[in-house]
Order: sequence, then C-alpha cells, then structure tokens
Amino acid sequence: MTRRLRCLLFVLGWMPQMPLWAEEPLVVAPATSEVKITTDFAGAELKAVGAMSGPGELIIKLVGPQQEVTLSRETKLGPFWVEGDRVKMENAPSLLYLYATAPIATLLSPAEQQKYGLILEGVWVRVEPQLKAHAASDWRKAFFRLKEKQGFYREDDHAIRVFGNRLFIADMRLPGDLQVGTYTVETLLVKSGKVAGHTVGTFKVRLSGIERWVWSAAHDHAWLFGSLFTLLSMLLGLALNAVPYRRTR
Amino acid sequence: MEFFLPIAHMDVNIVLILLYGALVGFLSGLVGVGGGFLITPLLIFTGIPPIVAVSSGSAQMAGTASGASYLHWRHGNIDFKMGLILLIGSWLGGGFGVYLAKVLLRAGQFGNVVVFLYVILLGFIGVSMLIESVRAVFRAVAPAASASAAPSRSLLRTWVERLPWQTAFPASGVRMSAVGPLLLGAAVGILTSLMGVGGGFIMVPVMIYVLKMPTKIVVGTSLFQLLFTTAAVSIMQAGINHSVDPFLALILIVGSVLGTKLGARLGARLPAEKLRLILALVVVAVAAKMVVTLVVPPSEIYDMTVEVR
Repeated sequence: MTRRLRCLLFVLGWMPQMPLWAEEPLVVAPATSEVKITTDFAGAELKAVGAMSGPGELIIKLVGPQQEVTLSRETKLGPFWVEGDRVKMENAPSLLYLYATAPIATLLSPAEQQKYGLILEGVWVRVEPQLKAHAASDWRKAFFRLKEKQGFYREDDHAIRVFGNRLFIADMRLPGDLQVGTYTVETLLVKSGKVAGHTVGTFKVRLSGIERWVWSAAHDHAWLFGSLFTLLSMLLGLALNAVPYRRTR
Repeated sequence: MEFFLPIAHMDVNIVLILLYGALVGFLSGLVGVGGGFLITPLLIFTGIPPIVAVSSGSAQMAGTASGASYLHWRHGNIDFKMGLILLIGSWLGGGFGVYLAKVLLRAGQFGNVVVFLYVILLGFIGVSMLIESVRAVFRAVAPAASASAAPSRSLLRTWVERLPWQTAFPASGVRMSAVGPLLLGAAVGILTSLMGVGGGFIMVPVMIYVLKMPTKIVVGTSLFQLLFTTAAVSIMQAGINHSVDPFLALILIVGSVLGTKLGARLGARLPAEKLRLILALVVVAVAAKMVVTLVVPPSEIYDMTVEVR
C-alpha cells in the first residue's frame, strides 16, 4: 500500500511515583515509552516491569480516561425491533483492566477490594437522565456487560509473571480503538490479605499522524474540510473516470 | 486488512469496503443505476454508524458522478436551465433534510427512520423491477414501463401544466411550470440527505413520463443535478453533523470507479432484461435482509455508542 496511513499511539511520559505510604518498597516502570499502531494493528502490547522487596501478590489496575457513552435499547414496535429508550452513561472509565497474580477475590476482602476500586462492576457510573433505582440498575448491568464483551473491562489473573519473588513483568494488551487521554496504572503489593505497598503512574494516549489531523479538521474547520474534501472527491472521480475514457476514444 | 476510520472511529476491512464500492460500481456500469441505495445499507450492515454511512455515501456519489457528468456535458446532454431549477429545489430539500437528520440524531431516531425508509423504498423498487423484468425475460415483451400507472401520470401531468411560472426549456424542447422541477428537486434533495441516495430512480422516470423530456437529456441532466446535490449535501453533512469520513468515501470512490468499468464492459455483452433481473434480485435481497434485522429478535437488545471523543 503506497499511502500507508498510520495511527500512531504514543504512550508518553509514564511517570512512576514513589509509594504513597512507605510500608513496602515497590517500583514499577514501563519497558517501552512509545507504542506505534499502524492501520493493520489491532491493539498495543504494553509491558510494565517492577521490583518488590520480598514475596507477595500483585494487583495492577489500569484505568482509562473517563468517557461519555450513549446506551440504547431495542424495543418491539408491532412486529419490528426498533431503537427505543436511550440514556447517557457518564463518569465511567473508558477502560478498566485488573491484572493480578491470583484471583483478586482470594487476595483481598470485599471491603479492601471496594476501597481500592478492584471490582469491575463496582465502578460508579452516572445514568442521565436520572431513573428509578431498578431501571438505572438494568442500564448499568448492560453497560458493564457490553464493556466486558468489547474487551474494555477485564480481569486477568495470569498477566503478571513474578521472578524469584523480586521482579515482575506485566503484559498488558490494549485494544485498537482506545479513548485518547491520560491512563492511570496503579500497582498494589498484597501481603497477608492487606495492601502493603502502593504506587501510581500515568501515561498519555493520543492519536497522531493523519488520523489526528483529519479528526481535528473535520471538527474544528467542519465547513472548510467538507468543501475541500468534496471538491477532492469530485476531482478524483473525474481523474479516475473521464481521463482514461478520453484516452481510449 | 484492518483500516482505522477517524470519523466513524472504528476499524474496517479495507478490502471489504473496496468490494462494496466495486459491487455498486459494477451494478451501475451494468444497468446504469447510481447505486447509492445499496452502499448505505451495506455500510450499515458492516457496523458503520448510519449518519456516517449516509454522509460518506454522498461524498462518494459526488466523486463518481463527476466523471460521468463530464462525459454527458461533452456530448451536450445536459439541459442546464432545467438542471439549475432542479438544483435549487434539491439544495433547499437537501438543506432541510440535513437539518432533519440533526434533529432525528438528537432524538436518537435517525437509525430507525433510515432503516424504515430503506425497507419501503427498496421493497417497492425491487418488487416492481422484479415483476417487470420477469415479465420481460419470460414473455420477451418490450421492457418499456408498464402501462398500469398511466392514469396517475396523466393526472400529475395535468396538475404540472396548471402551475404558475410557465417557462420554456429549449434544450429539452419542452415548456412547463418551473414549480414542477423545483418540487421534484426538493423531494430528491431530502432523500439524498436522509438516505444517501442520488434519487435517480425517482428523477429519471418523472422527467421522462411527467415532464416529457427526451431520454438522452434526462440522463445527462439528472447526473448534473445528482453531482451538485450530493456535493452540497456532503458539504452540509460535514459542516453540520461532522459525519463525512474521508477515508471511507475515498475507498468507495476507487472501488466504484473500477467496478463501473468492469460492469460497463460486461453490460455490453449481456441482454438488457437479464441485467434488470439481476439488479432487481440484488435490491430485493438487500430489502429482505433489512426486514430480517427488523423482525428477528436481537441477541443483545442494548447498544453502546461512544460520544465524540
């Protein structure tokens, strides 16, 4: 393909911070600082490498930037299934991955899981317009089901490999159509059912190259973009169609 | 091969889109229809949001119609006076349609309206074409339009004759009220912005049977009108709804131009009745597929759309 268009996804400025409190030292750093996604690329493979002071279990929570989505529900109208009600879901992270060395439920008590936001369906999502509790709950359930089905919410207890009770590597696979913005990586060291160490880092994801340019042009200069692109389409059609025709005549 | 569409914000298979373009172009070369009415449903089946499908389809049609219009202009087949009046109508209709699309999008009803309009339109066109072509193939009857609709046509013709602003159209050799073409253009413009169709299937028969224009001029003039209507709608959709995906449109244009050449070559060798039968079957199949998606209970009744990022 001569005009290979690239969707570049940069993972910029991963900023590991020191533990928020210093019971157990825990250091995490990414193995790569930049991931490039080309058009035939279905997602990004991200590695995080870290060190801990001794034996323990690990949980890595990857949280995407908040996203507003519209959820619609098909209803039956006579013999037809048509799009019926719709609501907006706000404040939910676009992506939520929970990686651990063992099932999280076996590592921490429900209260601790709640405290650190380690329950996939425990994320607080605002439903707009406000509905009665049971109606809102239906929409929330559907939201989590769709997010999990699309691979944006996931729990994986095999993604972290620990070497000699000291070093660990986490393989985090991100989907192709990521929300742009700031992602947070929270690493928790768990010992005897308690969180013993805790560190937070962030990285940024942004569209780059021609995709980014097209998107901004189409939104920031909509009329100019529409006019120029339509003209370009007409010229392309003319060039592809009329010119070869004339030559053959 | 996956390809990222920045406006639709999704990955699509570039080969599949190229094939869609080629298939529609092929049919258009084979039987001389624009094929906008097939592109939109095919794109919707692929999961592209209806508004992006409709808008990018308009840009694609502007692209493919430009080459064909140029050829007709070279051959002197365009009645510019008539074309201009049709255009004024279709620009007004198109502007209204784009605004209507915006209102429907806000109410979350755009997808429903598009699907129902398509089922009605494709069902009607497909079935009437199927009946006509089956008749033509089996009885070898001349494939002229059936006479059954003649009374309503003459009624319409009388009505058009009584309208004000009688004007002469020398290129077409007819004299009529300018209101007729203006209304026709407006109706087609609304269809272009709501369904992403060129509207040739309405424009051509009305111009031939109601406005009594010569067939050669009808094709050229309708293409001229189509070119500038789809271009205007494409600009308006991009300006108002931010819904024209340039990559999608470009892939479709390339596919359809290649397909058209192939179709035209094959079309010269196949008998006209059989060609119309093929098209009728394709149209009925698309309509049937749309009816099936409407009637069969969906496996997941919820659907999620990410608001503009």
